Amino acid sequence: MHILRLVLRRLLLALPILFGMLLFTFLLVRVGSNDPVGLLAGPTASAEEVAAIRKQLKLDQSPLVQFGEFARRVTRGDLGQSWLSGKPVWGELASRLPATLELVILGGLIGGIAGVAAGLRAAFHPNGWFDQASRVVSLAGFGMPTIFLGLVAIFVFFYLLGWAPPPMGRIDLLLTSPPTITGSYAIDSALAGDWEAARSALARLVLPVLCVAIVFAAPLIKQTRAIARDVLASDYVRYARAAGLPPAVVKSIVRRNAAVPVLTFGTTEFIALFGIASVLELIFSWGGISQFGLVAVLKGDFAVVQGYVLFMSVIAMIVFALADAVVLMIEPRAGLR
Amino acid sequence: MPIDGVRRRALALLLASPTGTIGLAIVLFFLVLALLAPLFAPYDAIAVSSENVLKGPSARFMFGTDGNGMDVFSRVVYGARYAFGIAVPVLLLGMALGVPIGLYAGYRGGWFDEITLRVMDALRVFPSIILALAIVAATGHSLFNVVVVIAVLDVPLFARVVRAEVLALRRSGLAEAALAAGNPTWRILAVHLLPNCLRGAMAQVPIRMAWAVRVTATLAFIGVGIQAPTPEWGAMIRQGSEYMISGEWWVAIFPGTALVILIIGFSMLGDGLEELLDPRSNNSSR
Amino acid sequence: MSLLAVENLHTHFIARDRMHRVRTARALNGVGFTVAAGEVLGLIGETGAGKSLTALSVMGLLRAPATIVAGSIRFDGRELVGLAEQEMNRLRGNAMALVVQSPRTSLDPLTRIADQLARVHMAHRPASGQEAQARALEMLVAVGIADAASRARAWPHELSGGMAQRVLIAMALINEPRLLIADEPTTGLDVTVQAQILDLLRAQVAARHLGAMIITHDLGIVAHYCDRMAVMFAGSIVESGPVDALFAAPRHPYTRNLIDSAPDRVQLGRSKIRAGSPPDLYNLPPGCPYADRCPRAQALCSQAPPAAEFGAGHVAHCHFPEQVRAA
Repeated sequence: MHILRLVLRRLLLALPILFGMLLFTFLLVRVGSNDPVGLLAGPTASAEEVAAIRKQLKLDQSPLVQFGEFARRVTRGDLGQSWLSGKPVWGELASRLPATLELVILGGLIGGIAGVAAGLRAAFHPNGWFDQASRVVSLAGFGMPTIFLGLVAIFVFFYLLGWAPPPMGRIDLLLTSPPTITGSYAIDSALAGDWEAARSALARLVLPVLCVAIVFAAPLIKQTRAIARDVLASDYVRYARAAGLPPAVVKSIVRRNAAVPVLTFGTTEFIALFGIASVLELIFSWGGISQFGLVAVLKGDFAVVQGYVLFMSVIAMIVFALADAVVLMIEPRAGLR
Repeated sequence: MPIDGVRRRALALLLASPTGTIGLAIVLFFLVLALLAPLFAPYDAIAVSSENVLKGPSARFMFGTDGNGMDVFSRVVYGARYAFGIAVPVLLLGMALGVPIGLYAGYRGGWFDEITLRVMDALRVFPSIILALAIVAATGHSLFNVVVVIAVLDVPLFARVVRAEVLALRRSGLAEAALAAGNPTWRILAVHLLPNCLRGAMAQVPIRMAWAVRVTATLAFIGVGIQAPTPEWGAMIRQGSEYMISGEWWVAIFPGTALVILIIGFSMLGDGLEELLDPRSNNSSR
Repeated sequence: MSLLAVENLHTHFIARDRMHRVRTARALNGVGFTVAAGEVLGLIGETGAGKSLTALSVMGLLRAPATIVAGSIRFDGRELVGLAEQEMNRLRGNAMALVVQSPRTSLDPLTRIADQLARVHMAHRPASGQEAQARALEMLVAVGIADAASRARAWPHELSGGMAQRVLIAMALINEPRLLIADEPTTGLDVTVQAQILDLLRAQVAARHLGAMIITHDLGIVAHYCDRMAVMFAGSIVESGPVDALFAAPRHPYTRNLIDSAPDRVQLGRSKIRAGSPPDLYNLPPGCPYADRCPRAQALCSQAPPAAEFGAGHVAHCHFPEQVRAA
């Protein structure tokens, strides 16, 4: 369980950053004189009611005490209650996480595999037609802001071609969502034997996942190509050629040596996908955690915003730790092989 | 070093790169649009007209009209003003903050450097759009806040680039020589180190401009920072998205296309600059 | 017949400069030499003379914008210039082997050294994985790596410079080459390690009856380990012949300059060439390439110098070769 130890160690090292994020989110709310009380109490509350709520939320104490209270509650897993709905933030966030994960993981896998493969191929045949074509695709992918990509996708595939279902959520409005096992409607429906629901959920996954994949692939193509070119120009690849190794073997040497830098780069891009997802979720009415956080920001529900920022920080930490662990497993120079 | 000769050579180099040239052309085109908007826009960008609501593209309204009867073409043209008007201050602010931080961190090292590194790392960990959104939401939905927030997101990048250049220069002994000659710290930073570091920072400018335009539009689309009826492309796309499904595609597609072209233009310009600064780069005939 | 016969080799760099103009650097101009089986040829010259490029040209490892524009390279009678890449690949690491400087960066960082050796072996021989591993171990022992069995599982970054160089030599020898080219095989290594490596090379050459070419800028290496030498300047061989003959009576002004500026007892690592201003390969003078720096240059030197022979294969390319000094 070496890997587990590595992951845990990385996570521990990340604690100061986590603390920083905690502080940051706390300040975030205090900085803009946003008064939660007004939201919770509503416009018709009397002065005593307002004072009571204020006392309940401990908003009448000094900021330091408030922060202490906040930190304490967070470590216990209590992220407070939504100012708008009153429901516990943790529950609201956790229940919506699988929807976002569906998009990000599927899109990341497809975009990742396609992007890296394309980048490698472009590097092995520089200035050929594939290289030029993928450069154009990459540029276009960079250029398309997600908002537009999503809209154009809907316009072309739903409105013009009628291939895709309407962008209204994860499953047909007339069908019921399956009981939650994994959180993915498609998988859960299949597990429950409800094939119509499964097909509907899958159909709705296509467009948003495609958008995520494109956004993820664009920078990957470019960066993978650059990394692979660097490796191709290295002393050891040149020497491999000098030793008469067949081209297939040389290519595998290149692929293996490019893997770590590509992975490191890809991890940062992957985290950014959660931000991308927020916009796509909005456009496709997906109901995931990113959309939820977004709406909370817009509506000023800062308990949720706080919780969301913390949630995302933890997710980012975990992803980075996992990636680091993989790197440590591959890279002998890190001294752990 | 003769500045004039350097500029001319740089221009020749840029033109030698087809990507860079096209990028430059695109950026200049939109810049002209932005600066001379009244000349190009046939109608007032925010003139409401209830009788011309949602008319398709025609000879009269080249890009059609939107839900308020406003001419989309004119709004797209004026939108260029907002694109540049936000991106340029964002960039200037980002550089004004990031470059000195990078300079000082690279030069001094020590705890300042450590702290900046940690903070930059922490910022990098978080998806930037969400961060921008959260800060703007906390500080208020004004254009000024949007500019400041996006600029702040650029700061770590510029700081990092400049810091790396400063570290490389330190190794070359340039700073030591200046110090030995009796220059005070601020002078070493400003006169000796800064000009050499700017090269690396400048290379980032087009990409950051693309990014600024993109984030502004995204924020506007979500509904942050830009209020209707401002003719900003992101806000226009937002408005147009309602009509996409019902068939009035022109309201969102035209501003969106303009947005995409400008962003691609900046990206190509950035690529061209990259080739310029690193001739050994991956685009060479190796 | 010579193992390797290079004749009139011209290698140019044809590229576009920063202003997109086409510029040609004439890096190798009519290089010619031979290597026979069982002998060691030392190719000596200052940095930028074209030594490494010669090795790359012979091995067919030139990358754009460098290209062979004229000349012939015959290995065992077989013409290599214009040979298909696939055919060249069969020769490389097999009948012809290359050892380079900076050994640690020349090894694949992600593969253990025994696996790398085995890989080279299996590329050219129908051996099984096990057989290749056994052969790899054999070679590690042959190049003098202590405790070879455990070192075999090491990663390249765990090796010292000397050990890495031995591994490279093992890799070069693993498929019983007929020709070995060593490009600055000991630069950057400790002097004692240098001697060990060179002794190893010499021993292998003798034991396997190889033909070898050692490229270096160190006169000491040439003096102690080579049978014949060729002096290179600005992409041309200015003088060649038996080592003893050249050291006793250098005929070309450049060679004379080299040997004169070396200390009396030419030692390893002490006899580096002090280079003057490097010649501009984009604008070489017509005729003798050394004309610009030669103290004895005259008008005639703007024409290509003839090959003046001095017996026993000693040749100097000069209009005014040195007269033998009174003993």
